[in-house]
Amino acid sequence: MTKTNENIKADLFTSDTQIKKARLAKMDKTTRRTNLQGKISKNIILLGLLLFAFVILYPLFWMVVSSMKSYDEIYNNVWGLPSVWHFENYATAWSMGISGYFFNSLFVTLVTIVLVVLIGSMAAFTLSRYKSRWIDVALIFTIGGIMMNPQVALIPLFEMLTWMNLINTHWALILTYVAYRLPLTIILIRAFFLSIPRELEESAIIDGCSEFGIYARIYLPLSIPIIVTTIVLTAYFAWNEFMFATVFIDSDVLKTIPSGLMNFRDALRTDWGVLLAGMVIAAIPMVILLVFLQRYLVRGLSEGSVKG
Amino acid sequence: MKKTLCFSILLLLLSTLLAACNSGEEQSANADGKVEIDFFHRWPNEPRKSFYDEKVKEYMEQNPDVHINVDYVLNDAYKEKVRVLVSSDELPDIFTAWSDSFAENLVSSERIMPLNEVIQEDEEWSTKIIDSQFGGFTFDDTTYGVPFTVDGKAFFYNKAAFEENNIEIPKTYDELIAALDKLQSAGYEQPLVEGLTNTWAISHYLGTIFERVVDPAVLEKDYNEETAEFTDQGYIQGLEMFEELTGYMGDVSTAIDHEAARNMFAAGEVPVLYMQFAEIKMVEEAGDVEFGFFDFPEVEGAAGDPTALTGAPEGWMVSKNAPEETIDFLKFLTSEETAAEFTKTDGQLNAIEGAVTEENVNPTSLEAYELITNASSTAPWFDNAVNINVADVFMRGGQSLATGQATPEDILKEAQQEAANQK
Amino acid sequence: MIARRNRMIPALFILPSLLFLGIFIYIPLVQNFYNSFFDFSVFSPTKEYVGFSAFEQLFADKVVMTAFINNIKYAIISVIFQVAFALVLATILEDKLFRRIAPMLRIIYFIPVMISISVIALLFNFIYNPQMGLLNSFLELVGLESLALPWLGNATTSIYAVIAMSQWQSIGFITMLFIVAIQKIPKELYEAANIDGAGKIRQFFNITVPQVKEALFVNMLITITGAMLVFNEPYILTNGGPGTSSMTLSVYMYQQGFFKDNMGYASAVATLIFVVTAIFALIQIKVSGTGKDE
Repeated sequence: MTKTNENIKADLFTSDTQIKKARLAKMDKTTRRTNLQGKISKNIILLGLLLFAFVILYPLFWMVVSSMKSYDEIYNNVWGLPSVWHFENYATAWSMGISGYFFNSLFVTLVTIVLVVLIGSMAAFTLSRYKSRWIDVALIFTIGGIMMNPQVALIPLFEMLTWMNLINTHWALILTYVAYRLPLTIILIRAFFLSIPRELEESAIIDGCSEFGIYARIYLPLSIPIIVTTIVLTAYFAWNEFMFATVFIDSDVLKTIPSGLMNFRDALRTDWGVLLAGMVIAAIPMVILLVFLQRYLVRGLSEGSVKG
Repeated sequence: MKKTLCFSILLLLLSTLLAACNSGEEQSANADGKVEIDFFHRWPNEPRKSFYDEKVKEYMEQNPDVHINVDYVLNDAYKEKVRVLVSSDELPDIFTAWSDSFAENLVSSERIMPLNEVIQEDEEWSTKIIDSQFGGFTFDDTTYGVPFTVDGKAFFYNKAAFEENNIEIPKTYDELIAALDKLQSAGYEQPLVEGLTNTWAISHYLGTIFERVVDPAVLEKDYNEETAEFTDQGYIQGLEMFEELTGYMGDVSTAIDHEAARNMFAAGEVPVLYMQFAEIKMVEEAGDVEFGFFDFPEVEGAAGDPTALTGAPEGWMVSKNAPEETIDFLKFLTSEETAAEFTKTDGQLNAIEGAVTEENVNPTSLEAYELITNASSTAPWFDNAVNINVADVFMRGGQSLATGQATPEDILKEAQQEAANQK
Repeated sequence: MIARRNRMIPALFILPSLLFLGIFIYIPLVQNFYNSFFDFSVFSPTKEYVGFSAFEQLFADKVVMTAFINNIKYAIISVIFQVAFALVLATILEDKLFRRIAPMLRIIYFIPVMISISVIALLFNFIYNPQMGLLNSFLELVGLESLALPWLGNATTSIYAVIAMSQWQSIGFITMLFIVAIQKIPKELYEAANIDGAGKIRQFFNITVPQVKEALFVNMLITITGAMLVFNEPYILTNGGPGTSSMTLSVYMYQQGFFKDNMGYASAVATLIFVVTAIFALIQIKVSGTGKDE
């Protein structure tokens, strides 16, 4: 338990570590032998780091720049900037289908988030507050879910959803996304719930709060940070999921962004500028999420240690 | 009390969510009494998507008591989807279908409406449709589909490149190879090109080659799942021919799609391309080369049909349970007016008399149109003609041939096994 | 009253999630085993019992072998880059020498992780494009055009081109996990080592590596499991081609099931995938100790 607690506190970007580092650096100054060799190797490593950053960033930069080029320019002038900036590629991409995929993704993601947080936090509440043999079994059942992978379930899920008449509906995605996000969510939230002091709820019971009241009025509000983490992780998953989205949805009007982009590519033929504009539109929400909510995201990913 | 309330609300919430899942049920008439027609096609790409969206809108304006639901998925997904739908009661009312074995498979579900009566009743409409094109939709004298687009595959060549190097249009396969050699020595690194990442493009090649080198009777036997064996040595010869042809396609072909190949042809970088007539307009729009076409040449001494044209019509089928208004919509979709506008917008030729004229197509397409409508026999697309598992062996095998990872014998052996598995 | 409340409410609270897990995760798993013994297609409602024949076919199938070897290549290369290289990268980023620039680099390295695989794969289609692709154009630019290849169309390079894209996308992810682990190492250890005059490289092997041992192991297992399951990358970039040269088990399962409609055989492939990954997953549970956290 302590491990998880520490994790929660040890935020990547806390000033605490910064101060420590600064102190270390100061101490270091006195002991450091300021030889030339050290400086050179530092600069070589720095160069390597920047080079790697360039390797990561350049293709993305190219994607953004080329999204405003015409096909001829992308084909014949790979490296150059556009001679005419075709901003209208974005409007074209948006009206030619990306808007539909975008709102489908938005709907699926939002409903998935709501269900995951609601159902997951309720289960975590039980799993953290009660003890019995059945609770232990339920906990193992939940944790075991993390180890199951969607690939193995793909065909049975397809059969089941067909049988339920849900294939080719957004529910096929929402229900399966919720199921596959629940185990991690429950574990994360449960760990947080366990750290909430018992005294709080005891006083609440004295005040006449019901069980539900304790969950809704005490546990949930106290757990906002971990719930934000859950939301970010779920959004990341639901927005980017590809396999289910490809197999369970056929209809173009229902597709989400990851699978819709494949249709979009086929439909566009060689209108590469518009295709790239569509790709940029698809990527932007998650990059924004990273920039603004990185601490929650990083915490969740590292605690869950399960790739999206 | 309060907690019970909370739970009731929660359970209610969940149950409505789950109930909402099932609300996608289809209805043949909706709340305001309109007849609903489910229309399913396979063109999420432009310009056809917009064309059909427009047409549907136009039809609904003319017929205010009809509401049409359009849905579309692309190619392979469409094939799979229709096969699934035809085995259930969810078959759309009107949908697009390829001819021949693809159509036959659908018909065997007994969910497709026979159209003989409809065709006889309204001769004003039905006689406008080129008679020969009904063949691929007629089984045991019953017609199950109305042909709409016609197509075929041929070698397209850059006229300037052929003239500069004094190359005649090849009449035989050997002459084709000689022409390619000549072009290569004239400086074309790859005189022929194809997008081999699109496995269907490989199947089009193989389908035609097999038509040329394998006895038609053997083909008929092997294209039937029940009797397929693929033991004829002609297949080896055919695969070897394909291997030989990929030798002229250069490294690049294994990594591009057909569209990139077409663009190379349109830009004059490559002088020969095997493509569909439906693509003529796209080549003209993508570049300014002058081009002509010739049929896949005859293979001397081979047992196959030397002139069969590969390419089959595609048309519309109607579900047995479709509301009667669907027939009217079908006639609307296959009317001369719609067809002429379709060909003008898209470039693909159609099977409606009077709807392909100098006014809506270019001379090359018109020439192709003559060829298609006069062809003695047409061969269906290979990937539609044989079982998909067998087709996949040939298509992936084609990629392996091009990259030198397999021999014709390997592929044929695998195809024989796969054919045996299907029985 | 209190006793009743304690029984009913926890049960009701946990019921929905147990239902979800049961219906959408555990039942399909069992169903998949069951399906492996039948021959059926999407559009035939009947399933024909065929016993172990699908598994016999599986072990004789050359494509399964190719796919499995590709998965193993995927795993080995990913361990080298995403685990070994990422650990070094994380150590450097956490070094005080780079503390000014590190936060920004961390974000930059992490960006590809956030972007949908279909966007990344479409982008790499442009990068690997034999005609105008960035990679070949770059090689030309620096005078190495002899190395330019149709990366995805060449049977020997296609799987590596796919793997390379995965590395590009995922290094930032594992690096971030290592950074978190490194930050938990007590700083005193390094201070003591500094006083002893131990160099950076010795500190790395004597302090960092042993201290992040658990994370190292977990990350390795995540990477290996991910590599054994990989679907999206090869499916979008090459669809397993040319021929079957870049096939992976998951792509093969998908093609058998949804393209060729051999659902029974596809289920057998899925069972194989499950067995392979379950072994790694069991090790992971044992090591990471998830669950016994009290």
